[in-house]
Amino acid sequence: MTAVPGTPGAPPLALPDIDGKTLDLSTLRGRLVLVNFWATWCPPCRREFPSLSRLQRLFKPAELAVLAVNVGEDAETIFSFAGASDVTILLDRDSAAMRRWPVKGLPSTFVVDRKGRLALRAVGGREFDDAAIVAQLRGLLRL
Amino acid sequence: MRAHRFKQLAILLAIAALPAAAQSQSARHGTRDGVAVKATPLARSAVLSFYLARGFSAEAIAPYADACALSFEVQNNTKKPLRLRLADWRTGGAAGSISFRLPESWEDEWTRRGVAGPARIAFRWAQFQSELEFAPGDWIMGMATLARRPDGAFRLTIPYTLDKRKHEITLDRLACAAAD
Repeated sequence: MTAVPGTPGAPPLALPDIDGKTLDLSTLRGRLVLVNFWATWCPPCRREFPSLSRLQRLFKPAELAVLAVNVGEDAETIFSFAGASDVTILLDRDSAAMRRWPVKGLPSTFVVDRKGRLALRAVGGREFDDAAIVAQLRGLLRL
Repeated sequence: MRAHRFKQLAILLAIAALPAAAQSQSARHGTRDGVAVKATPLARSAVLSFYLARGFSAEAIAPYADACALSFEVQNNTKKPLRLRLADWRTGGAAGSISFRLPESWEDEWTRRGVAGPARIAFRWAQFQSELEFAPGDWIMGMATLARRPDGAFRLTIPYTLDKRKHEITLDRLACAAAD
């Protein structure tokens, strides 16, 4: 993943999860948060999705939270693809939340550091449990 | 190396996700100094089925499906930032100079046609965006349509800026998918 120049503050993100409970990014301050924007119709998004769960399992919940923000789809469509996942799936039905983030295409992924700043970004699919990405995240935890 | 294998797998998955009619069309590849471009003509039936499943009516999506639609994939395998603008892309050769109809123009059309929000969201993010900046390692896919259908095969020139220096990649012998 690429460092975000100037590490600006992360845009707001408060969305319902698949059970309708709202999660606010600001409540996760003190942990790393990986925010992944995706859709079920996007082939690279589907391909990388399992690696988000594998990444979450490599870290303690107090260290890293993985938020998979689905764009524009309903809970039934999402659940039929994702099933039971280790990551938190949020629903951005009207894409209003995504428009506040510097998203240039799907999938787009950002890492918010423990101080709530955008530290890393990636456009296009990745294997998030790749050793290089895991090392980047462990490095951010040490800051 | 693992990331590269993942990209290859993702590309194969993306191609496999397209209907058979789209796969029969000839993709063209171009590479230059670590920048890779792939263009795949999309069959009308493939375009229709994708957007009908996203909430478009057949009537609303007809002008897009009738256009010369292509799927593009661009990878930045360099260590420098890559920038490109869809408005700069042009056909050449016997087809003459044809630009792309930008996503913003299509979105104006969806407003006129009263297309609903979820379908428009899917449309917006399924397109190759008008302006893109790729960090090292980034890659992206998206659809785009030519402003008019060329007669026969055409050459496509894709200018880009790599670390503030201008370059271009040319794809030869591209053709729109045959009507189906």
